[in-house]
Amino acid sequence: MLKKDLISKSPVSKAIGIENLKQGKFGAVLSRAGVGKTSFLVQIALTQLLKDEKILHISLDDPIEKINLRYSEGYTNLVDSIGYVDPQKAVRLWEDINLNKVGISYNESTFDSEKIRDYLKSFKKANLALPCIMIIDGLDFDKDVSGILEELENLNHEFSIFIWFSMKSHREEKLSPEGYPIQLDTHKEIFDKAIFLQPVEDKIEAVILKDGDRTDQRYRLDPATMMIVE
Amino acid sequence: MIRDLEKVRNIGISAHIDSGKTTLTERILFYTDKIYKINEVRGKDGVGAVMDSMELERERGITIASAATYCEWDKHNINIIDTPGHVDFTVEVERSLRVLDGVVLILCSVSGVQSQSITVDQQMKRYKVPCIAFVNKCDRSGANPAKVSRQLRDKLGHNSVIMQLPIGLEDKHEGVVDLVAMKAYYFEGENGEIIITKDMPAQMLEEAQIAREEMIDAVSLFSEELTDAILEENDITEELIMSAVRTGTISRQMTPVFLGSAYKNKAVQPLLNAVISYLPSPLDIENEALDMDNNEETVILESSFEKPTVALAFKLEDGQYGQLTYIRVYQGCINKGDTLVNSRDGKKFRAGRLIRMHSSQTEDVEAIPAGHIGAMFGVDCASGDTFVSPTINYSMLAMHVMEPVISLSIVPKDNKAQINMSKALNRFTKEDPTFKTHVDHETGDTIIQGMGELHLEVYIERMKREYGAEVETGKPRVAYRETITRKALFNYTHKKQTGGAGQYGRIAGFMEPHDDEFEFVNKITGGRIPTQYIPACKQGFEGCMGKGPKLDFPVTGIKVTIDDGAFHAVDSSEMAFKSAARGAFLEAYNKAKPVIKEPIMKVVIETPNEFQGSCMGLINQRRGIIQGSQEEGVMSVVESQVPLSDMFGFSTVLRSATQGKAQFTMEFSTYKQVPISIAEEIARKKLEEKAQKK
Repeated sequence: MLKKDLISKSPVSKAIGIENLKQGKFGAVLSRAGVGKTSFLVQIALTQLLKDEKILHISLDDPIEKINLRYSEGYTNLVDSIGYVDPQKAVRLWEDINLNKVGISYNESTFDSEKIRDYLKSFKKANLALPCIMIIDGLDFDKDVSGILEELENLNHEFSIFIWFSMKSHREEKLSPEGYPIQLDTHKEIFDKAIFLQPVEDKIEAVILKDGDRTDQRYRLDPATMMIVE
Repeated sequence: MIRDLEKVRNIGISAHIDSGKTTLTERILFYTDKIYKINEVRGKDGVGAVMDSMELERERGITIASAATYCEWDKHNINIIDTPGHVDFTVEVERSLRVLDGVVLILCSVSGVQSQSITVDQQMKRYKVPCIAFVNKCDRSGANPAKVSRQLRDKLGHNSVIMQLPIGLEDKHEGVVDLVAMKAYYFEGENGEIIITKDMPAQMLEEAQIAREEMIDAVSLFSEELTDAILEENDITEELIMSAVRTGTISRQMTPVFLGSAYKNKAVQPLLNAVISYLPSPLDIENEALDMDNNEETVILESSFEKPTVALAFKLEDGQYGQLTYIRVYQGCINKGDTLVNSRDGKKFRAGRLIRMHSSQTEDVEAIPAGHIGAMFGVDCASGDTFVSPTINYSMLAMHVMEPVISLSIVPKDNKAQINMSKALNRFTKEDPTFKTHVDHETGDTIIQGMGELHLEVYIERMKREYGAEVETGKPRVAYRETITRKALFNYTHKKQTGGAGQYGRIAGFMEPHDDEFEFVNKITGGRIPTQYIPACKQGFEGCMGKGPKLDFPVTGIKVTIDDGAFHAVDSSEMAFKSAARGAFLEAYNKAKPVIKEPIMKVVIETPNEFQGSCMGLINQRRGIIQGSQEEGVMSVVESQVPLSDMFGFSTVLRSATQGKAQFTMEFSTYKQVPISIAEEIARKKLEEKAQKK
């Protein structure tokens, strides 16, 4: 019951749809620095954890302690958004679902899809359920990442794992005719979904840039919690 | 022994395995003239470090038993305990920290804060022991002391303050800059014994000034005088800074960070100065005891020699002259021939030979005064006992001792080995509270229990070497436990009439899951069970905890409440109520949905980056849960929780998966419920075993 309530309150349920968020291969959360890409990605991952799925969170920026902190903060925000919850129940649920999350912190220079392949293979070997989504936070799309994206596409084929990326855009850069930041425009063919976060007044606006025909839908988020503001 | 306690330091040297604890201790002993030659832990000369006195320690290059020694530095008396780094021997660390006033926490400048550093830190917190940090191995490739200091903050929550800067790192590591004196120290001579003090290199001046300002800013929190001096722009003297650092360190609000390379003989002497300047003397530490004659009220002990004696036995060793008991005296003074009382059993004894330890060698002393660590021969006691003067009845708080998680059956190879084995086991169990032994009544096998594979392996090897007792070992077994998952009622009547006096007792109440091992609550009112039978009821229930009805594993985590019952004026007895309690336990147990729990270990693998994925895979294949993985330079750390039953033989698997380049540590974390499929497998094996025995 608590799981269902939390999933329904998640900003991801409304903005993307729980089943929809892993349809395809790649998704991106874009924004300028400091707007809330990682927090939104964490909310994406939390919905899957609440569905008893496994997730893999790879950060190229943050140490493992910070990743863990982001998740516990994200979970607390989600719990707080549904009003009163028995604190013990909430803690027990967190202890439960947290077991399905694996955080890995890499240096960007040593990030290598082979290491992830080795790890994912072991799930098959041990006959275990694979993670359903992988989050890659901190990949620098201002550089040429076509090689690594190609390798990750192979991973997606091999293990049916949807990959969500954070993508940093810049204020001074012009958008493409379709309204995409340059970082997305370069790789638009391989991205199935893209959400752009931008500050509007004292809120954050989540704009669906790419998701089949669901484009240009907009949602207002609370910048402190990333929860949808009705 | 020095009686001016301001000039006494009781310190421990603690760290992760292979951080260089024993190497550092060896240097300290050399510089303080306790030894005249430095021998390396795994030196080519095969001699081994002085502190690793056990043959096995020298061979394996690990410290197994903590060794005590003392030395003198700058007219101060330093008692040092060198503790093992391997987690299987963690009780040794625990025992040492209980009696120490301060710790030098060694961290590797390349690997930084590692899993055992975290364990040691938790233990230091438990016993509120202040520490200073020494970032060792600054000569190693990839050395980064600044990163290690940051990790002290981020991972251990210490307020770490850098007190020195390195002059060169890796193969260019020459010495250190002291940020208090703003001087550079170089270490010359064959063993770095000649300290050359110079002005610091010009290119480091700016960096050093910034670092000094940061340091003064951080330590000014602990001294109003220093803050005033800063605000009024007065001269900031070395004494002012040192006094603030001392206050901050002793109150455990800051950890000063020093650096160097013990192996390359760099900056060990400044560390000794820091021990004197910043770690507490026995006078700075408040120690407590419980007054057993006064409702266990807490009393503060005074390091006065005139007061009645209070001492704690923290470690036992069986030597050629009988049992050697290590003690720390907290109050009063133990003189040769004094009469003391063991407060646990009230037995009086006379203090015989008193000694001070230097690794395996001893030096006779006439007295061990308050504030000092020493040892005495010929006292029959257990680890953790308190010795007091006959005029008082105090007890020091006991140490935290973990329950063993792994067991192994051993069978002596021949008759001679049989006799020697029991002698050896008798000694080992007395010395080490985490090593236990019992005889399995069904198989007749002797079972030894401990904290890990290495722990048991070392004792088997010691049995062979020290006692000539060769044994054959069975497969290691996991210490499973049973527990209940829901509340269940009982209402049991024990009734027997077999001629003569009968037996009658009725007990009603409920059992429920509980966080502690066992709790018994008596809610009987109106004398429905007479008071004199209540202890028998408790004993009856408690007696059932040893062997669970489900699969014969010990039962834990149960709270039993009795709230009703009945007795018979003639037929009721203690025996009858014990039997009734046993019946009640069995009646409720199956209704309370019993499950099996297994020990889960915290496993930390350190591997070169290229094998990170494979290492995480190995954990996955062992029902493990990966908590996270972090790249640190060329190495990756994988932290996980894995059931102990899946960890047997892991070192071989890890070696072959990583070309022998990865290492792992494992320590007990918690007990968790076994998944149903595994529980069924355990039950099946248990039944097969039973059938075989029949």
